[in-house]
Amino acid sequence: MIERINEIRHFKEMIKSWTKKELRTRYKGSFLGFLWTFVNPLLQLIVYSLIFPFIMKVTQENYAMFLFVALIPWNFFTTALQGGCGLMVYNSSMVTKVYFPREVLPISYTLSGIMNMIFSYMIVFPMLILFRIPFTWNMLWLPVLILTEGILCLGVILLVSSVNVYFRDLEYLISVGLMALYFMTPIMYDMSGIPESLQKVLIFNPITGFIIMFRDIMYYGKGLNFELYGFTLCYSTFLCIIGYVVFIKLQRRFTEIL
Amino acid sequence: MNTIIKVENVSKKFRLYYDRPLTLKERLVRGSKGSYKEFYAIKEVSFNIYKGSTVGLIGENGSGKSTMLKMINRTMFPDIGKIIVKGKVASLIELGAGFHPELSGRENIYNNASIFGFTKEEIEAKIPNIIRFSELQEFIDNPIRTYSSGMYARLAFSVAIHVEADILLVDEILGVGDMNFQAKCANKIYEMRKQGATILIVTHDMGTIDQLCDYAIWLDHGRKMAEGAPKEIQLKYTEYMMKKQEEQKNQEEQKIQE
Repeated sequence: MIERINEIRHFKEMIKSWTKKELRTRYKGSFLGFLWTFVNPLLQLIVYSLIFPFIMKVTQENYAMFLFVALIPWNFFTTALQGGCGLMVYNSSMVTKVYFPREVLPISYTLSGIMNMIFSYMIVFPMLILFRIPFTWNMLWLPVLILTEGILCLGVILLVSSVNVYFRDLEYLISVGLMALYFMTPIMYDMSGIPESLQKVLIFNPITGFIIMFRDIMYYGKGLNFELYGFTLCYSTFLCIIGYVVFIKLQRRFTEIL
Repeated sequence: MNTIIKVENVSKKFRLYYDRPLTLKERLVRGSKGSYKEFYAIKEVSFNIYKGSTVGLIGENGSGKSTMLKMINRTMFPDIGKIIVKGKVASLIELGAGFHPELSGRENIYNNASIFGFTKEEIEAKIPNIIRFSELQEFIDNPIRTYSSGMYARLAFSVAIHVEADILLVDEILGVGDMNFQAKCANKIYEMRKQGATILIVTHDMGTIDQLCDYAIWLDHGRKMAEGAPKEIQLKYTEYMMKKQEEQKNQEEQKIQE
């Protein structure tokens, strides 16, 4: 195990350059290029702030921001699931031919997701001023939450990237599953607005805790709910370990199956 | 002499699916894993390769040569037996692994070299040599989707050959570029050999074995038939092939008579 970690550390440069490649090639070839990383969430926010108050007539104050601070962690999670699925399959020419610790690809993908999330939050801060949401010291919990979500997403990517090599259907199942999960996650509504019995079920959705906490610190200006954080951290770590165990077991036959 | 690659009683089984059920639906509907036949790509093969030697691995198509290389390269793992490799392995099988069409030649060199586990400084030190070797100075900052296939191959080959590895795996590839470039490649291999690198060449061309190697191993249908001095193996191999051809001829004649 320690040997394995040392080996991955040896490939530090590969992790760095693949993270960069992931970020740079996402919008490569388009006119705005890397700027899309910022423009994309900005446009999303503009659409929400027009639709909800004027067309849907939602009464919640600053509903666009309410939604937006929750959508950023949600987007990180969905990208991890959807993009993570194809990680081994689309890089098969490399995976089948070269030796490198296979963990490098999921790790780089997670890091690029974290970077993207940070860029999206860069948009959030000026918007908070615009929407007159007060800044609080509690927002300093943001990096902690981002990194914790990184643990969850790494686990998810490890799991789906390796399983998808064997069952290519996973990719399609996931896109349908995510749509269902979207409504079972308190993104468009608040956790307090639903029956208590349902709340107990929703908390086992691994992303729920994050959505609540991100919204608490960024939108409500509340502090971190330590009980919830502890639970979410343990849950994420648990899923990450499961993902890694599965990954280690499945990776031996990648070259034959791909 | 020091052993650098030790192959101990290695077997590798492949599953040959008659109709491989790739999708979950098919698995669920049929309730089985599908019918398959197991066959040995490599069966009970053992050999040692000594440091600094140039070894040729010969055999017909489907004799298990490439599987052997993949196992030495650690992209596949043996089912039974052990392979011990001491040192860094680079192989000229994996040309252009991980190249991204939208990135420039220079960026791709960087990414490609990082797969081999080099640090940033090491890569930066190598880049001028790689570019010079590839003869692509003018185009190096253009995206490689604009390259011709010859340019692409030259770039890929230049990176692969500058990986200063202890062991170089060569899989009948010396068909890259024009005559001039080919000669350059052959020279580079000679040079590496002089510097003490161990080279493992896979081929079915006896000429190459005779010219380059100082030891030869002959595989047939996954089994080791013989090993020894190239001349000796060449004799046995040619004899065997002649016999086989004659048999085929006889069979065909019989068919015609019938």
